[in-house]
Amino acid sequence: MTLDTALLAETPEGIGILLRPAGAVPRALAYATDWFIRFVTFSVAAALLGGVKGVGTGILLIGYFGLEWLYPIAFELLPGAATPGKRMLGLHVIMDTGLPVTPSAAVTRNLLRVADFMPIAFAFGLLSMLMRADFKRLGDIVAGTLVVHGEQVRLAGALPDVEPLAPRVPLTRAQQIAILHLAGRARRLTLERVDELATLAENALPPPDYAPGGASPAPIRPGPRLLAVAQWLMGQR
Amino acid sequence: MAMTPRQFEARYEATWVELEKGLSALDKGKKSGGRKGAKLKAGQFATETQVLPSGARIAQLYRQCCEHLALARERAYPVHLVTRLEILAARAHQRIYRRRDFGLAALRDMVLYDAPAAVRALRWHLLVVTLVFVLPIFAVGIATWLDPHFVLTVVDAREVRMFDGMYGQDDAMRLGRTSGDDWQMFGFYIMHNVGISFQCFAAGLILGVGSLAMIAYNGLLFGALAGFLITRGDSERFFSFVITHGAFELTAIVLSGAAGLKLGHAVLAPGRLTRTQALMQASRDTMPVVFCFVVMLFIAAAIEAFWSSAGWIAPGVKYAVGGCCWALVFAYLGLQGRGHDPAATLRAVAR
Repeated sequence: MTLDTALLAETPEGIGILLRPAGAVPRALAYATDWFIRFVTFSVAAALLGGVKGVGTGILLIGYFGLEWLYPIAFELLPGAATPGKRMLGLHVIMDTGLPVTPSAAVTRNLLRVADFMPIAFAFGLLSMLMRADFKRLGDIVAGTLVVHGEQVRLAGALPDVEPLAPRVPLTRAQQIAILHLAGRARRLTLERVDELATLAENALPPPDYAPGGASPAPIRPGPRLLAVAQWLMGQR
Repeated sequence: MAMTPRQFEARYEATWVELEKGLSALDKGKKSGGRKGAKLKAGQFATETQVLPSGARIAQLYRQCCEHLALARERAYPVHLVTRLEILAARAHQRIYRRRDFGLAALRDMVLYDAPAAVRALRWHLLVVTLVFVLPIFAVGIATWLDPHFVLTVVDAREVRMFDGMYGQDDAMRLGRTSGDDWQMFGFYIMHNVGISFQCFAAGLILGVGSLAMIAYNGLLFGALAGFLITRGDSERFFSFVITHGAFELTAIVLSGAAGLKLGHAVLAPGRLTRTQALMQASRDTMPVVFCFVVMLFIAAAIEAFWSSAGWIAPGVKYAVGGCCWALVFAYLGLQGRGHDPAATLRAVAR
């Protein structure tokens, strides 16, 4: 079982697009933000139109209807596919195929929010989100939509630039991947931690002070030696 | 030996940068297209910012980028390289497969063909919901007519007084109102009725029971109100009030219940699909019905606010107009778009 919640949506080009579904907490925060925005909008409108009897009240009631039902649908169909609350939390709505959300799906998922709310305080929606790996509420299941994190977190950066060193023995594919992944994350770790992790690969790394044919000797610490091997694997000779 | 990550990056870097630039330009709303270069004056060189990739070029770059991503994943290139390609491919994918039209043609098809056809496809659900709505109306209506006190078993005394105030004889010029004016009531009807119908639809997800319960409850209320007002001798005022907008409103309530029941039906008896697939299929099938009942409720709200309540129109006129509206609604739902073959249209387009 994997702990990663990322989903792969396959495209017609035969590649998988990575989708990162948002869990209950960011979505609840987004909903609370939206609720606050709607509340403030309605209060301002009520203060302005409250003095006008009849027509004013009518517009206010229609406005209430719009804020309740049309606000999320309209925002999710605009470019960005997110209500202001979702936008603040970096979320947006897409189809579970990775495609942009369709009008009928946006309508479905927002009307069915009522079913998610039942029996009280979004209990069904929350249960559904907690029980599924893709965090869909009932409306999302029916509409075939997902709420995803927009920005992908970049844990790995470019490899640190060091002199390359050949590994001591030919490496398997899995070993090469492990060394490249660790080197990609080296900038985010302390030097001591890189050393500590690199000692696990000691058998694959060239020995300290290894200097074939009068080349500059290999570093003593295992971390820099691992980074050097990573550069060699990258193709620098 | 396979290409090393460095060689790979060096070789295709230009492709990725070109795609990134093209996408950023599209995001900023600039028109893409190689023609921009043609506008340059003689002797002027095109700078990088002026020549943006055209749509066809972006599609080509996107396919190349997909290929590179597949290769990079397969060859286990470093994470930062794969991540960069993933982000780029995802951005281009969203851009290339976005919706192009804003659905005016789709809207026309919806009104002319899809909505009535979707309603007719729900005929058995409609039958059930109609019975669940109409039987309580008659049962409670007749019970109240026989014994006016029966109304208190359905609604409490305060609400009965409100009915009396709304349709009673004290106010000759206004019907169905306690206070306020037409615009206010228009807003109220939209907010209240459309909201209720959405809830009725969504409640169907709870195995269809939610929709049926809401429909039956509304039937009970309507029956109690009608029976009570008939015993009070206000039947003409009441029926001339409800007949016109009722054509739209009562039909819309039944439609919302039937659409909800269809969702519940899909959960209970998914047939050869999984429950999730059956639900998604049901929601696609019922979306035109949802569109239909929302539009009907808007029409009903306008009629109820501005026509039904007008005391100066003779009841006879209201009955005639109301009868026409009922005929119109049934004709639209029953007959409109019959014999229309969507496959034929598709074939015509394909040709």
